[in-house]
Amino acid sequence: MTITEKLSSGITIVELCGTIDASTAPELQRHQAISDPTRTIVIDLARLDFLDSSGLGAIIGAAHRKEESGANMLLSCMNQKVRRVFDITGTVRLFHIFDETAAAIDYATTLRKSQ
Amino acid sequence: MKFRLDTQNGITVGIAELEGRLDASGSAPLQKASADWQTKTPFLVFDCSRLDFIDSSGLGAIVGCLRRSLENNGDLRLAGLTPKVAMVFDLTKARKLFSIFSNAGEAAASFGATPTAIQER
Amino acid sequence: MKTLIAIKEADCNWMRETLPGTQPLLAPLCNKPFVEYLIDFAILAGCREIRLLSDGPLSQIEEYCGNGSRWGIELTYANLHPSDGEPELLRKNRKFCGEERTMILSGCTFIDYDKTLDYRGLASIDSGGTIASCPGGSITLAGPLEPSLTDQPLPPVGLTPIGDLKSYCRIAMTTLETGSSRYVLPGYGGEPGCAIGRNVTISKTAQIHKPASIGNNVRILPGAVIGPSAIIGSNVIIDKGSTIKESIILDNTYIGEQLEIEGRIASKNTLIDPESGVTLAMQDPHLLAGINGGATALVLWRKIVHALAAALLLLLLSIPFAILYPLLRLRGKWQDVPSIPNAGLAESIASAFSLDRYPLLPGVLTGRLAIIGSRTHENRAANHTGTDCRPAVFSYAETEAWAATESDAAIVERYHALHSTPLGDIGMTIQALINRIHYRNPT
Repeated sequence: MTITEKLSSGITIVELCGTIDASTAPELQRHQAISDPTRTIVIDLARLDFLDSSGLGAIIGAAHRKEESGANMLLSCMNQKVRRVFDITGTVRLFHIFDETAAAIDYATTLRKSQ
Repeated sequence: MKFRLDTQNGITVGIAELEGRLDASGSAPLQKASADWQTKTPFLVFDCSRLDFIDSSGLGAIVGCLRRSLENNGDLRLAGLTPKVAMVFDLTKARKLFSIFSNAGEAAASFGATPTAIQER
Repeated sequence: MKTLIAIKEADCNWMRETLPGTQPLLAPLCNKPFVEYLIDFAILAGCREIRLLSDGPLSQIEEYCGNGSRWGIELTYANLHPSDGEPELLRKNRKFCGEERTMILSGCTFIDYDKTLDYRGLASIDSGGTIASCPGGSITLAGPLEPSLTDQPLPPVGLTPIGDLKSYCRIAMTTLETGSSRYVLPGYGGEPGCAIGRNVTISKTAQIHKPASIGNNVRILPGAVIGPSAIIGSNVIIDKGSTIKESIILDNTYIGEQLEIEGRIASKNTLIDPESGVTLAMQDPHLLAGINGGATALVLWRKIVHALAAALLLLLLSIPFAILYPLLRLRGKWQDVPSIPNAGLAESIASAFSLDRYPLLPGVLTGRLAIIGSRTHENRAANHTGTDCRPAVFSYAETEAWAATESDAAIVERYHALHSTPLGDIGMTIQALINRIHYRNPT
């Protein structure tokens, strides 16, 4: 798994590549932008190949912590394979999911303005 | 199963209260008890307002009671069917065999009001 | 023009209680899944790209509709958030919508369309916004106008809410009566008002009264009377002398002999009165029953593996159980075994061996429970229905440390219910046993 971080219009975009499973999930949890509960981020999943339940757990845990402190985690560009994991586990309703990263960034900036 | 005799309408009517679930395990006690009730009077009312569930063996037991009442020139009438129990009676066409009343009082009174109805059957 | 079909779980809560396990978009209306009516309308309106959106699971519907090639369209799937309105939907699907006119069909509503009319004028209607709405749903247009492909005036579009079982039933019956002159309906029919699917055997002495719709793989035995106004789904058997009138028999249902079904919905062993909403689960398989496709080899293999694992555990733990159970029972502490921290030696051992689950193990041998799956018998049954639910002694959630709350546990269970293999289950069971020592997790 590789994590790439970008900044666009003041919003952090975290791009996840490769595989997230029990062995890589802790690395994801430790990542600065993801673990910081006050930072609103967009996670770009376009190049994520595989996600299992512990990876899902890491993402959900981080999203919960962000929500508690008033920040958000938005997801974008989910491919069909990853979407299916979110779908069968019933976790889709916890997230705002966009089909392009630019739209997610727009949404994140409006969220920040409204706060 | 509570059972009492009602003589208000000039005719001795046995009113039984059925409760809970009437399935394979509940139908045997009913059959036994009803044989005992038949010795007192062939005019019976089953108050089903507290009967939650009935299956085909329970239905069979009730139809058995009806047959015995009819053999003794009496009748078995039902009262206060809950929606679920009523659905089973509708489904199996058993509703057509019985006179059904909204409560036990009406059912008991019906024996006094139309004594000829029994002969008609 | 493009179409977004958006349906939220909240729009169809009524269906969950009365027709459990049915994905709302796949609920049959006159033997045709609800979603197909929406797709038909979108196609009549000239759309070739359609996206289905829901905040609930879409996998079932994805399996059924596929990529849309059956309709000659491109069908994609995405998820929405329960709080989303139309602006959010457009925003979240910006890539899909592009710079084109987009029609949003939202909510659990039935569109009264007519297949002989031309709805392509919707793309060039300049008023935009919501063009039709009813409680619980609407049709909204957004995006730039497109040149009209038709000179026909736009026919009126009516919406009828499907908000409860009563309206569902009424719409199904209306569709049946209106028939295939207006809607595209499945089945063959020599005459209007009667459609019959494939592989249907009808006895010579059975009667069919119009209007009636019969699905595939149906057997109608001697003396049965079908209709008027009967919708019989697929894989249904109507046994001798039974009458079906003004009723809907859903898929995989057996209707016993000499029964009378009038104004009801029958689904497997459940009989529903749509007027009052009363449901009755029949216990007599000779009256009403579900028809199951035979267990697949994988299911059987899983059952065998689980039973063997349970037998082994029963054997291994029999001695500690035989000693500790009477001991703890006498001290009245048996109920607390999994949850008490820093308890005495006997409790610790009982907890370490998960002896609290020991009495459940015989359930695996009888096939009633799985060794590992969902812990449904612990008051989670309500939000945990459907095919992914496998009641078990141990929970998949117990294998993972992060699942602390009930909803997290449900997520893990659903994930593994679909991804696990029978042999993998053994590994998961061992993992659960080890984890329970570490975390003393009461769930």
